[in-house]
Amino acid sequence: MQALAARFGPSVLALAGALAVSALTVALAGRDPAVAFGALLDGAFGSADSLSEVAVKTCPLLLCGLAIATSFQAGVWNIGVEGQLLVGALAMAVLGTHALPLPAGLTLGAYLIAAAAAGAAWAGIAGVLKLRRNVNEVISTIMLNFVALGLIGYLVQGPLMEAGGRYPQTDAVLPALWMPRLVLGHRAHAGLLLALLIAGAMHVLLRRSVAGYEMRAAGLNPAAARLAGIDVDGRLLLSLLVSGALAGFAGGIEVSAVTHRLYEHFSPGWGFTAIAVGLLGRLSPAGVVVAAVFFGALDAGSNAMQRAAGVSSVLVAIIQAIVILSLVALERGRWLPGGQAAARREE
Amino acid sequence: MRLWRRSVVGEQHAAPLHASAIPGETEVSASLLAVRGISKCFGNTQALDGVSLEFRAGEIHAVLGENGAGKSTLMHILAGMYRPDAGTMLLDGWPAVFNSPREARRAGIGMVHQHFTLVETLTVAENLTLSLPQQTGWRYDGVAAAAEARALAQRVGLDLSPPELTVAELPVGARQRIEILKALAHAARVLILDEPTAVLTPQEVRRLFVMLRELRAQGRLIIFITHKLREVREIADRVTIMRRGRVVGTFDPASLSESEMAERMIGDVVPARPRATERARGDVVLHVTQLSARDERDLPALVDVSFAVRAGEVFGIAGVDGNGQRELFEVLAGLRSPSGGTVSLRGSPVTDFTPRALLAAGIGHIPPDRQHDGLVLPMTVQENFLLSRTRLDRCSRRGLLNAKAARRFSTEVARASDVRADLDAPARSLSGGNQQRVVVARALAQKPAVLVAANPSRGLDVAATRTVAEALLDSACRGCAVVLISTDLDEVLDLSDRVTVLSRGRLSRALEPPIDIEQLGLLMAGVQH
Repeated sequence: MQALAARFGPSVLALAGALAVSALTVALAGRDPAVAFGALLDGAFGSADSLSEVAVKTCPLLLCGLAIATSFQAGVWNIGVEGQLLVGALAMAVLGTHALPLPAGLTLGAYLIAAAAAGAAWAGIAGVLKLRRNVNEVISTIMLNFVALGLIGYLVQGPLMEAGGRYPQTDAVLPALWMPRLVLGHRAHAGLLLALLIAGAMHVLLRRSVAGYEMRAAGLNPAAARLAGIDVDGRLLLSLLVSGALAGFAGGIEVSAVTHRLYEHFSPGWGFTAIAVGLLGRLSPAGVVVAAVFFGALDAGSNAMQRAAGVSSVLVAIIQAIVILSLVALERGRWLPGGQAAARREE
Repeated sequence: MRLWRRSVVGEQHAAPLHASAIPGETEVSASLLAVRGISKCFGNTQALDGVSLEFRAGEIHAVLGENGAGKSTLMHILAGMYRPDAGTMLLDGWPAVFNSPREARRAGIGMVHQHFTLVETLTVAENLTLSLPQQTGWRYDGVAAAAEARALAQRVGLDLSPPELTVAELPVGARQRIEILKALAHAARVLILDEPTAVLTPQEVRRLFVMLRELRAQGRLIIFITHKLREVREIADRVTIMRRGRVVGTFDPASLSESEMAERMIGDVVPARPRATERARGDVVLHVTQLSARDERDLPALVDVSFAVRAGEVFGIAGVDGNGQRELFEVLAGLRSPSGGTVSLRGSPVTDFTPRALLAAGIGHIPPDRQHDGLVLPMTVQENFLLSRTRLDRCSRRGLLNAKAARRFSTEVARASDVRADLDAPARSLSGGNQQRVVVARALAQKPAVLVAANPSRGLDVAATRTVAEALLDSACRGCAVVLISTDLDEVLDLSDRVTVLSRGRLSRALEPPIDIEQLGLLMAGVQH
């Protein structure tokens, strides 16, 4: 219990601070914070439809948050979850227009795995650059985001543009490959269940498996891990690949379940919000689940807040930003590249 | 103000006792810089204990001592980096208190650290500008800075690398000259050099010495920290020998032989107790033949090192840091591939120099820096007990950790090794002694055929030092071949059955008890092999 409090205490503190500052912002803008937050809550949990929207927003945030947790726990700063998600979505959009001589469910499974593989491969570029050429993964993964974005921009306006040629988007994936919905008439889909299953699997990987132990040890103290006979480079690469696979999987699900096609501004920045999700969830899979639901609710509720209370949905971005900044400050930057060494020196 | 100062001078002359207490002392009046009764503690360690010393203008004064003798601490106090707990400092006979290195620099005391403080991506001139006294305005004029750098070099009489080159392009010796120039830029009358020759090639050392003699001729005081006897005899006018935070004495280097110096540096060490005979010796387990290795700069760090260790034997390797100790540990731990020679375990040569292969072959290790190489501080004590490839294999099934087996193992090891700590507490919350107990217990739990221990009791208190020593001897009793690499001579002499010295990458012949301290001192100073 005490350990739990120590682990998640900073998260609660950061959240409280973020809510306080955003309430102040609303008040300064001449609106009533109570009304705004009321509208936000109502927009997120007020009806079956809004709950369904929360589920839809939570799914990619959860998978991407797990991607952040996996890599950050191994001391690999994968800021490229956004790009890996886009590449996974691209794989699903391209493959999804083709049928396989298999039952639709199996085809969908195979394509989702392919999307995950595409995300892993995209992350693997940064991994190989790091191990072979000592390129800092923060730089390379951020840059690969832009490459992915540019690549998709080119493809949807060129070779992959829909057959009708009206909009810069791909053809819709075959309806047989659409992710089944949870409740008829609502957008909430089975992808969320998959994501929750994967969260359980990631818990086992990180906390119960030898590979996860080695990833954490390699991330926290590479010198000691190496001396103990752990293949540090291999573990760092593995964590990056798993992280990329989770992001790619998220992209694949999003295409199959929600958008059915790929277009230029396909992601509203899930890969970046996921950093806040991961940090708020203290890089633990269970924590990430809670944090993803929270951010999903913020996202879903913000539109209602804008309509009902006249407060811009940008407020949600403010909350996210304050959460990240206060968490990093509370931990004295221990999670940032080089931060562990600095924290060690202080002690 | 004046009056007050006079009275201080009076006091100084009235109390010549301090000065005459220093052996080899001849006169007091010419002293440029002096310390009286300086003490300094770090935690429980008494780094300096009532040190009194005086330095004169126009001399090269060597300060000689083993690692941990307090040389560097004293110099850091002189240069304003530490404040003493007790004692006073006199500059030109006036009491001086420095609250920061900047104040010491203003008073004319410059220090060149062992680790350079240059910005490698900047040019020589830019680096010098950074440390020049008056900087006004916000504009940087590269041409003027280069001219100023040249003028400074000329004024001081040093030749300088072209000021337009970036520091990264320069060899170590040239970088050191820039550091010296930086220290002299503030018209320093006192120049402190912390082991300046440690990083230099013999040719660069020669150039440095020529330069130091020039600076001496200009009337400056040069304080030169070293543990190399040969250098003391070559360059120093006087030498102060320190041991365990105290001054042994100040001497004329010409009046002492190198062995006399070594003896004073090491002190009266209690000879090793005849513990060796109590243990049964088995066959040779570890056989190292003509091992060579290179360091990061690709210079030879180990040269033709050969030794053999039997089961049940503690083989001590003494010597001063920076003579190949780290490289030898790294080769035996699998972190560094040798450039030549072989390492054999129970007759079969090691071909794969990786930590994993060597662990599997039965070499356990206690790394020199437990926090850097030994423990993952944010992880729990239990997780740290598991930190070893072979242990992880034993506590897991099909890739999943077996929580019960891990807990059973850690509980058992914690009890046996007297680690009294919550197994689920992070390792960082443990005391230094308990942290080292975790490292030692983990290494011994593997029942290694060979245990390589590097400075196993560095920084530990008396009780923890004793448990570590007992653990090493216990493992030897159980038939382990122990290689003890340590800069702590007491530790080596107390525990080892045979003692060798690693000096400049070469291993001396092995001495057996009763060990002749004088001979050992000569070996440590690299005088003979």
